[in-house]
Amino acid sequence: MTEKKRYKPLASSKYMEKTMTRYYALSQYHRFWGKPLRRPLAWVTSGAPVELLRAFKIHPVYPEQYGAICSTKKATEKLCQVAESAGYSQDLCSYARSHIGSILRPDLAPMGGLPRPDLLLCCNNICGTVLKWYEVVARLLNVPLLMLDTPYLPGEYEKHTKEYVLEQIHDMINFLEKFTGRRFDPKTLERHAGYSNEAVNLWKEIRELCRTTPSPLNGPDLFIQMAPIVVLRGTSPVVDYYRRLKQEVAQRVKEGTAAVDGENIRLVWDNIAIWSNLFSFTKMFTERKACFITDTYTGGWSMVLDPGDPIESLASAYTKVFLNRSPDFRARQLTELVRDYSADGFVMHSNRSCKPYSLVQEVIRRKVMKETGVPGLMVEADMADPRAYAEEPIRNRVQAFLETLGGI
Amino acid sequence: MAEGNKTIVNEAVDLLLEESALKGSRFAERYPGRKAFGFFCSYWPEELVLAAGMEPLRLLPSPGNANPSELPAYSCSLVRGCLSMALQGGFKGLAGVGFAHTCDAMQCLGGIWEETMGLAGTLTVVPPVMLSGAGAGKFFENELSILLNKLGGIAGSSPGEEELSGALDLCEKIRRQVTELDGIRAKLPSDLVAAVMRAGQVMPRKEYSRALEAALPALKEGASDPGGRQRVLVTGAVLETDSLFRMIEDLGGRVVADDTCTGYHHYTGPTRPANKSPLEAIVSRYTGMAPCPCRNRGLDGRTDYLEDLAAGRKAGGAILVIRKYCDPHAWDAVTVAERLRGAGVKTLVLELEASEVAGQERTRLQAFLESL
Ligand code: SF4
Ligand code: SF4
Repeated sequence: MTEKKRYKPLASSKYMEKTMTRYYALSQYHRFWGKPLRRPLAWVTSGAPVELLRAFKIHPVYPEQYGAICSTKKATEKLCQVAESAGYSQDLCSYARSHIGSILRPDLAPMGGLPRPDLLLCCNNICGTVLKWYEVVARLLNVPLLMLDTPYLPGEYEKHTKEYVLEQIHDMINFLEKFTGRRFDPKTLERHAGYSNEAVNLWKEIRELCRTTPSPLNGPDLFIQMAPIVVLRGTSPVVDYYRRLKQEVAQRVKEGTAAVDGENIRLVWDNIAIWSNLFSFTKMFTERKACFITDTYTGGWSMVLDPGDPIESLASAYTKVFLNRSPDFRARQLTELVRDYSADGFVMHSNRSCKPYSLVQEVIRRKVMKETGVPGLMVEADMADPRAYAEEPIRNRVQAFLETLGGI
Repeated sequence: MAEGNKTIVNEAVDLLLEESALKGSRFAERYPGRKAFGFFCSYWPEELVLAAGMEPLRLLPSPGNANPSELPAYSCSLVRGCLSMALQGGFKGLAGVGFAHTCDAMQCLGGIWEETMGLAGTLTVVPPVMLSGAGAGKFFENELSILLNKLGGIAGSSPGEEELSGALDLCEKIRRQVTELDGIRAKLPSDLVAAVMRAGQVMPRKEYSRALEAALPALKEGASDPGGRQRVLVTGAVLETDSLFRMIEDLGGRVVADDTCTGYHHYTGPTRPANKSPLEAIVSRYTGMAPCPCRNRGLDGRTDYLEDLAAGRKAGGAILVIRKYCDPHAWDAVTVAERLRGAGVKTLVLELEASEVAGQERTRLQAFLESL
């Protein structure tokens, strides 16, 4: 039996596929409807305040998610090689490399590459890479680059930081008014922020359902099911989708259906998935009845927007994302996950591509182990580039780790 | 010193070279009673440390490949080396350590430092990324004013306008002196100039200014026409040794333009504008210094700067130094190389594990210099 078959499929998934296919079809055909409807297309980073774009009827497309798609479709290696021959070092983020590769060689890229943007929106709340990546794209395609600088928070979100982010958002609104020829309507922004919040709340509740033993979902479910909340954030179809998904997951909980039959080890995952080997990697765990009941990454999309002025809520929510915080903050977050989800251990993916996520993992690992008493394993790989994935050493480490946890 | 250069014998020059080689390691013994405050990046506002009554000391790793268990091997050797030295007690005696938020690696090092070395005395300042963006100046000024208070807390002082003004004057004086040196660098051995510039980041600033003042006449006297040496521009992050510059000299080259963080880049920036408070002046200096790949001053800010620099100094070649796993410089290298090549400047992208160069680099550098 292949791992995919072993894997307990969610009935909702087919609606997700439909939603996503529709989104990508719309995106691919944007050249036909974008101009007549005066709806530009923007490439945006995963942590950008997309609600703003939606308020101006701009269609967002996510190169990072496309990076994950390239990886599951086994296209990353050749696309990265294209970028590498153009001079981009193999040590740079593989989402960025594969995306640049897809611009230079659309013939090698899934879906023939992403539809060309009219605008770029980059927010550096996740890393410094996105600034460099989007600068490259802006030069290559000669399109305007909007950049929201959300200062790193070594401690709390302070007043002057808030004022700075707000000032930039207002400046951005002025730009977007001119760029789109549409007037800014706070009500429209509020509506989209409302959709975001509904979806975020549902996603949060779905994740919380996994506190149950056995867990109704496994790590790959979370990673796959997060797709709509990334690309359709701020729209109503995404709310509908997560309502449906929540129902199904709640049903699993009610019936005691486990994502991993006979679940006897509960683990928390830290960092982006290993897309290139998602199923074979997870299999090392499921065959020993270990389930990834929650993770830090997909939890990044469960930050609720504060009530009140939507612009202030956006500024705060997007600046406070976990990748923009100190190791101390992140250790507390992981500790809470271990406790709240009754985890027996945690696994950290030391992801060569993503330095801000990975460089601090070891100090976090030590801190969380000390706080919770559960063991944490580190495996080195890459989220998208299969060349950085060495199956055998990883298997040995995973096996040893699960044995200490009593896995059979 | 490479062939064809006059030997410069001068006490002040010797002192600067000695300090540069020591990299602050004997600071306490040489300058008893002074409080040194460590920093890593040229965006760290030295003026504030001076105003608080301390001495800014740039922390540099020792040569060699350190692999502290707190960091993965795919971190740059600067952060690995500095953390390793700190964990081994190498930076003991500092009043504190300051992180200017620049790249992802620095951000992470700051966090790890707090976790491993303790919170007390670890400070972070976050300069805006979009240097000329909306609200950037005001935000930076607020960051600096909070930082100044914290530095005062560490030093037990309450620095105000007067102290800031004094610090600014001193830093400006040093920048002027270093700019004078930079103006004659084509006539001086590249490694000597690099070492003198690095000294200004690891010794007390007044002493540095005094020593440089005394050294400049001798340096000018020792300056001689570079003759047929190949004129090159070097850009890159921190170079904690003069190994590369020395090799360029040995191979018949001359660094006529330097944009490395420990080199002239560190001293660039506009002078104090009229009618501005000291804090505003400091903001304008740090946002106006030579562009760094971690910051944005328009899409062409850095490439324009480097192209002009190469043209102004008549550099026939450019060497872009990238520390292995240094993302910001690796990203920029593609664009910068393309632009410089387009302007007729031959460009070599040189990836180094740290700052030391050896046999392999020698071959590449030799071939490169010969091709100019
Ligand atoms: S470096 Fe990390 S956060 Fe940044 S784009 Fe790459 S994977 Fe995402
Ligand atoms: S060498 Fe590069 S990656 Fe390392 S600290 Fe400096 S800028 Fe950051």
